[in-house]
Amino acid sequence: MAHEDCEVLYSQLAARGVTRRDFLRFCGSVAALLGLSETMVPRIAAAVESAALKPRVPALWINGGACTGCTESMAQLGSPDVATVVLDLLSVNYFETIMMAQGEDAEKAKADLAAAGGYVLVYEGTVMTGFDGNALRVAGKPQTEELPELCEKAAAILAVGSCAVDGGWVAARPNPAEGIGIQQFCEDHDIATPIINLPTCPVNPEWVVAMVVDVLFLGGLDEQGKVAQALVDKLDDFGRPKLIFGQTIHDNCPRRGHFENGEFVYEFGSEEEARGYCLYAVGCKGPQTFTNCPIVRWNEKATWCVEAGAPCIGCGNANPLSAGGNWVDVGAPFLNRLPDLPLSDTTTVQPAAAASVVGAVAAGALLVHGIGMKAAGRMDGGAPYEEIRESDRKKGGGR
Amino acid sequence: MARVIMDPLTRIEGHLRVEVEVGADNTVSDAWVSGTLYRGMETVLKNRRPQDAFYVSQRICGVCPISHGHASTMSAENTYGLTIPNGARLVRNIIECAQYLHSHVLWFYTLGALDYVDPVKALSANIADTYDLAQAAGTTTADFGAVANRVSEFVNAGLANNRLSIFTNGWFGHPAYAANMPAELHLIAVAHYLEALHIQAEAAQVMGIMGGKFPHFMTSVNGGTTFVPTEEKLDDVLYRMTRVVDFVNNTMIPDTLAIAPFYLEAAGYGAGCKNYLSWGVFNSPSFALTDRYLPGGVIKNLDLAAGTGLAVEAPDPTKVKEYVERSWYDSQSGLNPADGETSADYVEYDVNGKYSWGKAVRYDDMPMEVGPLSRMLVGYLAPSELPEGVRSPKDLVDFALAELSKAAGAQIPLAALQSLLGRVAARNLEAAFVADLAIASVLELVGYVKDGDTKWFEPHDVADGKGVGLWEAPRGSVAHWMTVEGGKLASYQVVAPTTWDIAPRDKDGTPGPMEQALIGAPVMDAEKPMEIVRIARSFDP
Repeated sequence: MAHEDCEVLYSQLAARGVTRRDFLRFCGSVAALLGLSETMVPRIAAAVESAALKPRVPALWINGGACTGCTESMAQLGSPDVATVVLDLLSVNYFETIMMAQGEDAEKAKADLAAAGGYVLVYEGTVMTGFDGNALRVAGKPQTEELPELCEKAAAILAVGSCAVDGGWVAARPNPAEGIGIQQFCEDHDIATPIINLPTCPVNPEWVVAMVVDVLFLGGLDEQGKVAQALVDKLDDFGRPKLIFGQTIHDNCPRRGHFENGEFVYEFGSEEEARGYCLYAVGCKGPQTFTNCPIVRWNEKATWCVEAGAPCIGCGNANPLSAGGNWVDVGAPFLNRLPDLPLSDTTTVQPAAAASVVGAVAAGALLVHGIGMKAAGRMDGGAPYEEIRESDRKKGGGR
Repeated sequence: MARVIMDPLTRIEGHLRVEVEVGADNTVSDAWVSGTLYRGMETVLKNRRPQDAFYVSQRICGVCPISHGHASTMSAENTYGLTIPNGARLVRNIIECAQYLHSHVLWFYTLGALDYVDPVKALSANIADTYDLAQAAGTTTADFGAVANRVSEFVNAGLANNRLSIFTNGWFGHPAYAANMPAELHLIAVAHYLEALHIQAEAAQVMGIMGGKFPHFMTSVNGGTTFVPTEEKLDDVLYRMTRVVDFVNNTMIPDTLAIAPFYLEAAGYGAGCKNYLSWGVFNSPSFALTDRYLPGGVIKNLDLAAGTGLAVEAPDPTKVKEYVERSWYDSQSGLNPADGETSADYVEYDVNGKYSWGKAVRYDDMPMEVGPLSRMLVGYLAPSELPEGVRSPKDLVDFALAELSKAAGAQIPLAALQSLLGRVAARNLEAAFVADLAIASVLELVGYVKDGDTKWFEPHDVADGKGVGLWEAPRGSVAHWMTVEGGKLASYQVVAPTTWDIAPRDKDGTPGPMEQALIGAPVMDAEKPMEIVRIARSFDP
């Protein structure tokens, strides 16, 4: 790329007080999230640089039955000065929560985008199908009336957050609001637009930025403006990027060493917690939750759940096409080792053997370890102890 | 007569429709506010465990999950008769402080400001004059030249091909933007709009460090907190909190006082129902509602101009009732949430019939405004004892009125609080209150940890019974009611802040607080009713 072509981007970066070094570091972290080697960093940088010369890519952010938490989460990006430069390469002409326009003017912005097509559709929240779609009304009609066209004409759909992926907590039974994910909605309407699912509640903003780079600037879209096969190949059976959702939290947990040693927190705020012991006994869903939270972390990388002594509740568990796969039905009761087994819509029973409540003693470490390994689907018999790794133990609990 | 509909009302959390009738005298003669989303939280929680409600119920709101989470745990603790340890009280107060600062900064700059500040006007600012003006206004400076360039590049690149992103179809150049507000002040506000994005994130990091992550936090479980502070974490919290507090005191408050004089006409309308409710927030060691640092209280028919209705009653949750005559539910109307039901039943939208997913919640059968204005009024009229170094609501309100009077060259009375302008100003002044309290609370926690005898969690058993958690989110009063039977939730009812403010008409046809605030408001341009959206957004719905 010619030097002068970079000038546009670098003047934008400079206006934010960002150096080229910051920018390349950012490209490096995107490469890591996308599973690309360091040799790809210059290509990412060049792709972003050349995108800065072109008109902004049209995008549409639609809030379904949402709490706005995923929008909020986007405001908590790491290295925000650089990341927002990338996000500014999008023109999000419709974004209810933060857009300047309102009412008909806002609706017109959406209609203009829909007419042109070829935009990236970001969907936040649950698709509300209850009461013939009247569980969510926008501009005087059910949102489900406008959704088929908006989805059909999109180049790609990013489902951000567990609600958008499979309905999230709104889909938890029994709920007359009848929430589903955007992928199920598209299936129901025979819409073939490719969908990238990014669960957790809310979505982790770092993943969204990485996917924007991948889809828009690294050849994720083919010449017809549709998602290329190369990108589809990077997704798992649930439409999630394999690199981000391929390992469990347990795999990468800094407290893992304590798990291996059988050192558990049995009561919140206890001496064991002060030592940063493993939260398995108080219900941590890390072993059966496939996200890279311990690595990417949250809030500009300042923190993550387990570091604050909180057991993972598995908010990243989402099953796009399965009713009842949502993280609440799968994970609750969150402080117990095992889920309640539903007998009917209103009656549940807790598997007795491994039940543990707050403040009570949990089942033996060997037993729980075995259950966790089973839940993660990695083995079918008992669980052999892994060797203690010094490197894990050193990290214990971030203290 | 003209019917004006704003749907969707943007720059709010959630989905809202505002419909008004504008009379021949260009004022609003009637108004209907409709919550257009039903998600069914209360049904989802039924038959689950009280410990799970904390995690799930906070997902009602991605902007104020902390307050919902706290209301939920307090509801369980109330049911069990449990008092949390002092360490947990401090940790929860600090997380809540951080959320208030986060939310108020976000509202003023990211959501509200565009109704008063025109980014296009900022482009004609003289850069040198902007520095002078910032200095004269006592607000912080930024690289104003770079900001102007950035805005100009953004606008030019976007105008060329209709790619103005979130500014597409904005009401640039609207006559309701104060004509005499200098371009330089618009530029200062735009620069601080950009800076505010960093500050809200800094506040969110405090919530993240002590809460696990934000939005949606993890640590304030029933019985206390899972977060055990270390010296390192406390250092981190104090450092970040100090940066946020500096911004509130040295940027947000001066900006408010600099912009307000150009919008004094907004002190003349938008008051609404003039009944104010606060459950109280930020627990003192006694945990009593009226001892909270922003105390609980109810004020009825307040008329500050006439000096009537000044009495503050202690709040009583048994006086809450929810009516559904005009809402899309077929459950019994007029129930107290402790015995409440949620049975959704959509029928066609009809302002003369049923028109909202929101229930008409009432206190003593009266609509109640909730939010920063209510809390500051209760704190002004019935102050509680405050930690050292925390300016009281009265100190802050009196200070602001004096400053504004100086700028306006005329005495601005306390009664100006009961208006659109007053509602906006009260939020920012509350941010200054919380800023003081945040620092005082972190220092108190540091002392608590240094003393060594710490306790963060009270072990307990789940017990059957009924309870309620009464608390305040940044946008207003929040309460979670639960009934526990056999260790499971037999009933879970939430009255969220916005339920109060956007309440539709009740059984008697009395409009809700936002509806009343809209009625009587002037409308300069019925096509682009700036006054309407300002009033609706001033509630931070």
